[in-house]
Order: sequence, then structure tokens, then C-alpha cells
Amino acid sequence: MKPVDLARKLRREAAFEPAALDRGKAVLMAAIRQEVEPTRGPTIVPQIPYEDVSAALSFLERAFGFREIPTARLVRADGGIDHAMLAFGAGVIGIGPEGHHGTISPKSGGIESQYISVYVDDVDAHYQRAVAAGARIANGLRDYAWGDRPYEAHRTYEALDLEGHRWRFHQLMREVPQSARRAGPGED
Amino acid sequence: MVTSPSDAEVIGRSLDEPEAFGLIYDRHATTVLRFLGRRVGAEVAEGLVGELFRIAFERRKTFDASRVSALPWLYGIGSNLLMKHRRGEARRLRASARMAAAGEAPVRRASAGALDARLLFPRVADAIEALPDGEREALLLFAWEDLSYQSVAEALELPIGTVRSRLNRARAHLRELLEPGGESRVRAR
Repeated sequence: MKPVDLARKLRREAAFEPAALDRGKAVLMAAIRQEVEPTRGPTIVPQIPYEDVSAALSFLERAFGFREIPTARLVRADGGIDHAMLAFGAGVIGIGPEGHHGTISPKSGGIESQYISVYVDDVDAHYQRAVAAGARIANGLRDYAWGDRPYEAHRTYEALDLEGHRWRFHQLMREVPQSARRAGPGED
Repeated sequence: MVTSPSDAEVIGRSLDEPEAFGLIYDRHATTVLRFLGRRVGAEVAEGLVGELFRIAFERRKTFDASRVSALPWLYGIGSNLLMKHRRGEARRLRASARMAAAGEAPVRRASAGALDARLLFPRVADAIEALPDGEREALLLFAWEDLSYQSVAEALELPIGTVRSRLNRARAHLRELLEPGGESRVRAR
């Protein structure tokens, strides 16, 4: 037998766990994020208060498709989440317990003092996902020929999360020439 | 016709859009994981595969854009990582030799004059272990990974002539095994 063929006889495959490739990719993606985040982090980050931060975190991932930035999580000594950050496209939000920094959740405050606009690629698919995950719909899907960005028509819906924070999801549909643009008749 | 971008194009794009590098993982991680697994077993390989791609990502500026496939480059990074796992590699090779010997014993005994597999395969393992690092690496990339001379040269960043001579030396070293008294020569080296 030739020497190389002899060496080949000792070639033996290893048996991997199914998740091995996913774990490897997580290592790579963490390195990529580390390079991207300092230079591309958004300059405004809404910080949103919740009574139950970990329930909010899993809801925001499940219903809205946000992704936690794992390296950003702060954990208290008792294991509770003190602060977490979630990314969606180029946007980032922070979530934390109400009472910090003078904030209060609508669940205990009884009022929403703001809403957050989120731009998505496919608002109909996003709507389906949010409904399936138990989001309350405050305003169903609608088309608008004007937008809160100049010259763009959009399709939107509004959802309330577990504690009543209001989220407005937009899909930019097309550009509207300036001449055809008119003031909206005051949205909901 | 839509053609998918070459590895070189993807890596070039990842200089401005780092996330694009994820595609290099999707394309090659399975191959690379298997390569690492053959050398150091599943457990260590699973720990190394992410590390390998992290290093590749951080060195992506140095990737030679004239190469179409990133795979030889990834093998080269893997070869360097494996240097820290020589003991585990040697252990796995000895175990593979025992298994190969057990599997082939009846066949080998039947042919007169052939070295008994129970003796032969442990000897092959010892001989591979005794090769100088550069020769062993070239041999295993060629024999186990089925890389061409050109790809081995790219992986180890050597001229192709050097790869050829290393492989020839490795072959000569292994051939000595088949001669009577070969074992003592391996042990003595």
C-alpha cells in the first residue's frame, strides 16, 4: 500500500452535536458585533421601563423580532435583569425596571406618554407574528399616502406590548412626489 | 443569470459591511468543523470552530483577493490553531490506529508477506507523529482533506515546490515503515 493511502486509513470522522455549528457562529457574530457597534451605534436610544423586565425581553423578541445584544445585559446579584439592550435593524432600545431614572411603566402608571416607531421590511408578516405572540392590536393595518418621513407613503399598525407600551410598525411603501404630498388629516 | 458572489467578493464586501462575513461561515463551517474533528475529536473541534472564524474575521484584510475560495486560507488558520492541541491529536491518532487495526486484521492476515495490521497501523500512527510539523501538516491536508498541492500551498503559505518536496519527504519517511526493521527506525528518530 502506498504511504499516503496508509495515512488515509487512519482518517476518522468525529461525531458532532447538532448545535455545534450554531455555537460556532455565535462566537463569530459576537466578534462581528463588537466591531460594528462602537462605530455604528445609534445616537439616540429609547430606554423603556417595565415592571417585569425578563418577561418584556422575551415578549419583544418573540412578538416583534427584536434581538437582545447578549454582551450588553446587566444582571443583579439576585439574578434579575437590571438592564438589557435589544437591536432591530439599525435601531437599539434599552429596557430596565421601572422606578429607575424616574421612569414608570404604563401598566402601573395607567398612561402611555409616548409611542415608538419601528420601520420593518414586511409589515403584514410582522403583524401576523405579533398577533400570534399575543400582542394587543391598538390600530390595525392601514395604508397612508403621507408619512412621518418626507415624501414616503407607508403602511402601519400599532400594537401594545405586555405592559401597554405602544409600538407603531411602519413599512415604507413608495416615494410620493412633493407636489402630490398633502398634510394628513390627523392620524389616530 | 444570478451568480452568487465568490468568497473573495464576500470578504471584500465585509471590509465595509462586517456582517457579510457571516456568509463565509455558512459556506465553510461544516467542512472546517469536520477537518478539526478528524484531527482533535468532536469536543475540542466544537470549541475551536468559532474561534477559527473569529480569527479569520479579524484577519480578513490580509485575505488574498486573487483567490476565489477562502477554504485553503481557513485550513491554514485551523492548522495553526491545532498546534496547541498536539497531545490531543496524538491521542486521537493512536486510537484511530487501534480501530483501523481491529477493523482490518482478518483481511491483512490472509495475505502472506503483508505486515499484520495490528502492527502496521500503530506504526503508521507513530510515523505520522514523528514527522516534522511542516511535513505532517502537508501530509494530513493532502491525505485526509483531499486538498490539491495548490490548496495545501495556499493553506500553509508556501511555494508549491516546497509543498511537493515536503510531501515527498513525508512519503519517504512513511515508506521506511514497510521495510523490515522500520519500526525501530521510527522509534529512534
